[in-house]
Amino acid sequence: MEHTVKVANPIKPKQYKSAIKPVWCPGCGHYAVLNAITKALAQLALANEQVALLSGIGCSSRVPAYTSVYGFHGIHGRALALASGLKAARPELTVLVAGGDGDGLSIGGNHFIHACRRNMDMTYIIMDNEVYGMTKGQASPTTAPDWTKSKLTPHGTGLRPFQPAALALAAGASFIARGFSGDPNGLARMLVAAIEHKGFSVVQALSPCPTFRPEHMDWKHQIRAFEHDSTGDAILAAQRIQADDGQSTGIIYQRELPVWQPITRNSGSIDQFEQEFCV
Amino acid sequence: MNLQNPIEDMETFLAYAITLEEEAADRYDELADTLETHNNPDVAKAFRTLASFGRKHCDEIIALAADRSLPNIAPWDFGWEDLEAPETAGLDAVHYLMNTAHALDIAMSNEMRAHDFYQRISQQTSNPEVRALAAECALEEKEHLEQLKTWAERCPDSAEDWRFDPDPAHMPE
Repeated sequence: MEHTVKVANPIKPKQYKSAIKPVWCPGCGHYAVLNAITKALAQLALANEQVALLSGIGCSSRVPAYTSVYGFHGIHGRALALASGLKAARPELTVLVAGGDGDGLSIGGNHFIHACRRNMDMTYIIMDNEVYGMTKGQASPTTAPDWTKSKLTPHGTGLRPFQPAALALAAGASFIARGFSGDPNGLARMLVAAIEHKGFSVVQALSPCPTFRPEHMDWKHQIRAFEHDSTGDAILAAQRIQADDGQSTGIIYQRELPVWQPITRNSGSIDQFEQEFCV
Repeated sequence: MNLQNPIEDMETFLAYAITLEEEAADRYDELADTLETHNNPDVAKAFRTLASFGRKHCDEIIALAADRSLPNIAPWDFGWEDLEAPETAGLDAVHYLMNTAHALDIAMSNEMRAHDFYQRISQQTSNPEVRALAAECALEEKEHLEQLKTWAERCPDSAEDWRFDPDPAHMPE
């Protein structure tokens, strides 16, 4: 017999998952990031066809295949370029972009800073495990300089890691947050705020890799919430980011800034087009 | 909402209980999929079985909630003691070389946490209907725990070096 329960949140996160099962390693933080994305979409009650999730290359970039929204598994580091094109052509879509720390901050670093500057209305999720996992464990731009477990850098990189939040702030992003895969509900809440924000929102999701960075499985004992609420003051946000060790979570910075959205139209007079191209 | 405050109405309690059971079952299915993908069929089967137990329990609670209007609680507004619902297995608790005994250890911890959760509600609430159902749920979780213990007794002990992989993905020099 069917029972009728009037549950007030009838949209289940599972509705946003595809039939394709993830191939991520058991214990990988990316499973929880996927769950946070689907929980956020369910909470926002977005229709599947209203959402597009684009990615680059890497373990984390497999995520569009595991969802049932529009997906595009793009080329390495170019997810934000693809997403910008999509948002320009289809402004009504909710555009999400996901990828790893290497894809987004190294190969795609240039696209990242300009996406921040452009401030198109989309959400970028950096699934940060501080390693290139798909290629069997090389140092990424967020890897600590003294990590010696890669054959490519047996003495460590000796390079100071990028701080994604600082980079995003300097480049002009209007929403910056840091979450943790070990707190999928907190991450989902952050993603809801990021998606609702008008402009380019960056969410760094710390997501440990059990295979190549097993020591990071201890993050669950180290990561804690920021002591402060978010600010719209870029100087204050910069101070907070620099004073932090990169393991505090929360919405760091949120400010209304002009959103860039090109005018799209299929027809116009020659005069109008000439006007657009005149210097 | 915060569980530091007692649950005083049946609808809220049912919303909590359904979410607790549903998320536990979903997670077991998720872990079963993961272990299946990583060619560990025994553990995948165990997690699948645990998921089916969880769904049965969930269906029972949904039946109790028939024709009631339950509140809309966002995932982050549940006042769980930990970061996820008490019966939900941690995604980081699994390993590709784990065996059924390990899976059952995880499940027994989950049942214990669920039992404690229901028991605490039954002790804190002043609503007799909530108290009775929460106590019943706590008792059921305890029964599940005993069933899992019996199942675990049939499983061989793990070798000390169960994580040893002669051909691991990661071989730093």
